Amino acid sequence: MRYSKIMLVMFIGVFFWAFMSPFAWAEEEPGKLVMESIDRGLAILKEPSLIGAEKVQERRQRLWEEISPVFNFEEMSKRALGVHWKKRSPEEKKEFVELFTDILKNTYIGKTDTYSGEKMEVLRERHDSSYAEVQAKLITNKGTEVSVNYHLVSNHGKWRIYDVVIEGVSLVNNYRSQFNSILLKSSYEELVQRIKEKK
Amino acid sequence: MRVSSLLTFLFLVTICLNGAFVWAESSPLSNRQSDETTSTGKKSGMDTNIEGEKSVSSGQTGEIVSENKGSATNANTESEKLEPVSAGQPGETAGVGKSSVKDTNIKSEKLGPVDVEFETTFSSTETASISDPIQPYNRSIFVFNDKAYYYVVKPVYKGYNKAVPEKARVSVRNFFSNIAMPVRFFNCLFQGEFKGAGTELARFVINTTFGVAGFSDPAKSLFHLEKQNRDFGQTLAKYKIGTGPFVEWPFIGPSSARDTVGFVGDLALNPLTLLSFFAGPFVSTGVNSYDYMNEVSIDKGEAYESITKPAIDPYIALQDAYVQNRIKRIKE
Repeated sequence: MRYSKIMLVMFIGVFFWAFMSPFAWAEEEPGKLVMESIDRGLAILKEPSLIGAEKVQERRQRLWEEISPVFNFEEMSKRALGVHWKKRSPEEKKEFVELFTDILKNTYIGKTDTYSGEKMEVLRERHDSSYAEVQAKLITNKGTEVSVNYHLVSNHGKWRIYDVVIEGVSLVNNYRSQFNSILLKSSYEELVQRIKEKK
Repeated sequence: MRVSSLLTFLFLVTICLNGAFVWAESSPLSNRQSDETTSTGKKSGMDTNIEGEKSVSSGQTGEIVSENKGSATNANTESEKLEPVSAGQPGETAGVGKSSVKDTNIKSEKLGPVDVEFETTFSSTETASISDPIQPYNRSIFVFNDKAYYYVVKPVYKGYNKAVPEKARVSVRNFFSNIAMPVRFFNCLFQGEFKGAGTELARFVINTTFGVAGFSDPAKSLFHLEKQNRDFGQTLAKYKIGTGPFVEWPFIGPSSARDTVGFVGDLALNPLTLLSFFAGPFVSTGVNSYDYMNEVSIDKGEAYESITKPAIDPYIALQDAYVQNRIKRIKE
């Protein structure tokens, strides 16, 4: 009968949907993740209750809470230290991740203070099982376009950003060049000292 | 006193035509095909891992594809771009990353390949560095440039920003950029980009007429003809001339031996240089430094600060940003 056929199809549909959905949920799309994070960030920057110089700290804090979970700071620190990472003890690694996270937080959250209507567009993404690249462009209010590529690493289906490449300049590689150059001449302790002074 | 120091500055600045703070200039995403890859010799087998690209905003993707110079190597170059990422794949997910509970059993299995990953991923970027035999000299010039920026250039352009609205400054940029069209046109030809040369020619005709002497850019806004940022340094790179050592020039900023030659080549191709023959060096100097100041006022000053301010070693940060940006632009 027609009716029972429809029922059967529906049953199969529901069964497979229920069966598949946990896997579907686990599989976040990197492009979507980046786009949604940007949108959430922009929503905070545009929020009327947070506009104004006296709200700077509150706005920065909200933005940091919203955006930081999308980043994998440990991966960033590891890549920024490069070959020197594995020579470090677990405590040193932990300290370094904290220091590096602070640098990124202070400089890049601070940059949002001058937000004035810049737009972000995600152009395309590609990924394999564990790595993804999301290409986006920032359109300034002057009409200039800046290419911004996000590099993501997957950890059990959760995509996290580990590098941001602006006009071909990788943030992590830029810091690695600096750290390498410092570690060529001085000790790791001195590097940590210089990073602390920076704060 | 103030006037005379300003004049000295203007004179020094003549040499800084369009090469200053190059990394800040934006350019559309386009094909990358060049021998100067960051990760040389890492092409093996990785390509197969890469899934087809997915469009997120479908309208945008269409545009990009048309921007690409219509070559058939698209798929190939796309995957090439992903290489630095995928180079260290086998070990990437390994233990060093997350310390979450789920990870623990994988940790023990995969600790081995971590070393391999470090070697592959990191050595690939090592090749992106530049030789810097005259670093002490370069560093002193960098300190000078940095001081000149904060004490001279920045105050001047801040005042200029207050006096001239942003729209007008962008128009001025368009005007100078339109005049410098032969630089891009000839470098397109030298690089065998005949389509790009045609685009530049069409842009020049449209912008000079409809764009009122180049002050606006209808070629881009109405006809979607993108500016082809081609310079002589790129041309030399395409002819397999090596980067050479790093040089920090007063006022011009970071450069390499090759790009310095390229810079001079571009000067020779720029009609503004002819101005000094007709209108005398004083006018030419004034015009050039005005162009320079205008560029800095729009975004190059900001770009300089955003690279050097968060840096632990600003000199290296700027040098690395220059090198990375050049590699990208040469690949385009």
